[in-house]
Amino acid sequence: MVRLLWVRSGMRRWWPFVFALIPLAITVAIVTTLLRASDLENFGWSFWSLNVSDHGILVYVIGSLLTAVPALALAMLIGLGIAVASTTYLPRFVAGVLDPCVDLLAGIPSIVYGIWGYFVVASFFGQNLFVWAAVHLAFIPGLRPTHDSSLALIATGDGLALAIMILTLMILPITTLLMRDALRAVPRDLWESGLALGATRWEVTRRVAIPYAKRGVWGAAFLGFGRAIGETVAVFMVIDQASKLPTNVYDGTSTMASLIIGTIDAAMQGGPTGALELHFLSELALVLLSITLVVNVAGRWMIRRTYTGVAGV
Amino acid sequence: MNAIASVPTEAVVSVQDLTVTAGARTLLDHVSLDFGARSLTAVVGPSGCGKTTFVRSLNRMTELTAGLAVEGSVRYLGQDIYDAAVDPVVVRRRMGMVFQRPTVFPMSIFENAAFGLRLVHAEEDLVDAAVTEALQRAGLWDEVRAELDRPALSLSGGQQQRLCIARALAVRPRVLLLDEPTSALDPAATQRVEATLQGLKEEIVLVLVTHNVGQAARISDRIAFLHSGKLIEVGPTADILERPRVKLTEQFITGRYA
Ligand SMILES: Nc1ncnc2c1ncn2[C@@H]1O[C@H](COP(=O)(O)OP(=O)(O)OP(=O)(O)O)[C@@H](O)[C@H]1O
Ligand SMILES: [Mg+2]
Repeated sequence: MVRLLWVRSGMRRWWPFVFALIPLAITVAIVTTLLRASDLENFGWSFWSLNVSDHGILVYVIGSLLTAVPALALAMLIGLGIAVASTTYLPRFVAGVLDPCVDLLAGIPSIVYGIWGYFVVASFFGQNLFVWAAVHLAFIPGLRPTHDSSLALIATGDGLALAIMILTLMILPITTLLMRDALRAVPRDLWESGLALGATRWEVTRRVAIPYAKRGVWGAAFLGFGRAIGETVAVFMVIDQASKLPTNVYDGTSTMASLIIGTIDAAMQGGPTGALELHFLSELALVLLSITLVVNVAGRWMIRRTYTGVAGV
Repeated sequence: MNAIASVPTEAVVSVQDLTVTAGARTLLDHVSLDFGARSLTAVVGPSGCGKTTFVRSLNRMTELTAGLAVEGSVRYLGQDIYDAAVDPVVVRRRMGMVFQRPTVFPMSIFENAAFGLRLVHAEEDLVDAAVTEALQRAGLWDEVRAELDRPALSLSGGQQQRLCIARALAVRPRVLLLDEPTSALDPAATQRVEATLQGLKEEIVLVLVTHNVGQAARISDRIAFLHSGKLIEVGPTADILERPRVKLTEQFITGRYA
């Protein structure tokens, strides 16, 4: 009896640490592997340059930000619109169809978005939107076609703009879902208090509900950004992969993630340049990891700072 | 407003044959009751008797619940608030509401109190004066005057509830509807809110739903007893407590208030 008790309480003491060890070990393993493979001691900070031919990675860092940041901004705006419509304005039966639809889209594997983007969205937007923009919105910097990107080339669709669009569509369900659930958690009493003061639904949404749900909004932004910057195969399929900075939105470029997926095969084949390629890709992965880490930490700090903590009662 | 105010009438709010139904269910059954200026009426009755439904139908909050049908009339200074020409937003600005749990907004103490004024884009010095006055009337000013920029959610429950009262007062309503405003508060906080209400009844019409007959005894001028959606009895507080005319009232009072 005594022994059984001892064993049971002993169990309770060690098993949490085993579980705790799993994520800790994985983190340490990944970081050490990447650090060793990228061999920073030998190569130093030379990788932090725009010189692509000398294995500078700054072009890809910029490419990643050029796709992820606009995609995130779009997905947050559109997602907030859908979330507010669904929680506040739409009749219940419409929201009842819309919500499961968003949940479903959030679960679709990214390769599906990639294939759809490559075969359908590319030519559709290329022929309609992009060509139109290249002709009529050419006064906006970045939308003007350079002499070497002719309209026929623009019509094929793939490039930076398409990558942004596909990324937006990919992260839109998750940003929508998180903001929608946060808005739905706003207490009914709070809503009614706003309305009882003579506010309209829009005024309560803007001034009470969204501020109340801001943890969810921040959460959506950070998760969405993580997905956008880490997306590999879908971006690779639509970005018209090229190791250069884009001259305009129709141009091809590379992100860190798409470059890794595009060159990892060759690097693994070995050969005279294989080792160098592998070390270069490790540096990319390391930078990608660092960016994700920084965003994560910043996100946590932000969410903690904006905590609305319901005091009293 | 002036045109309406000049209508000669005793009551600020006059309820006639108010019937509220949800499908086949009757939540309120031909309730008629007048509320005079500067009064505090306590609405009491067993759980589920329709107290919340009653106060919510006074400022058209019932419209926010799908499936409720309202018949009869509610007149505010002589005008039927359910008239098709009346904007419910205007009605709600004249008749403020305080809920069971404090419902402060996720913003500063000052901005909470200023919320209703911001909606009409009131001028800044006007807002300042109105917020100060509302916080004073709600009995919260001395506690928060030094830290108006603090998040309202960092206040205690009782302070939050008084802030909710201040927020409702800031738009200068003639009527304040309170649905069990102290049921989530401890005795000390309850006492502060009761003191606040006692001061306010010298100025405006208060309708206080309470499950606490002791509270009704302490601060109300008049008690209305509801049972199964019907107004069973209404009269001066002392009369209802000491000599109720209806057996049902007596049973309720003796059950709740020794
Ligand atoms: N939307 C609705 N549809 C159908 N029935 C409702 C609805 N709202 C309230 N009721 C019913 O109407 C009755 C009165 O409800 P109400 O909330 O007004 O009671 P109450 O006196 O405030 O009760 P409590 O003291 O518990 O707060 C209850 O039986 C309730 O179940
Ligand atoms: Mg109630």
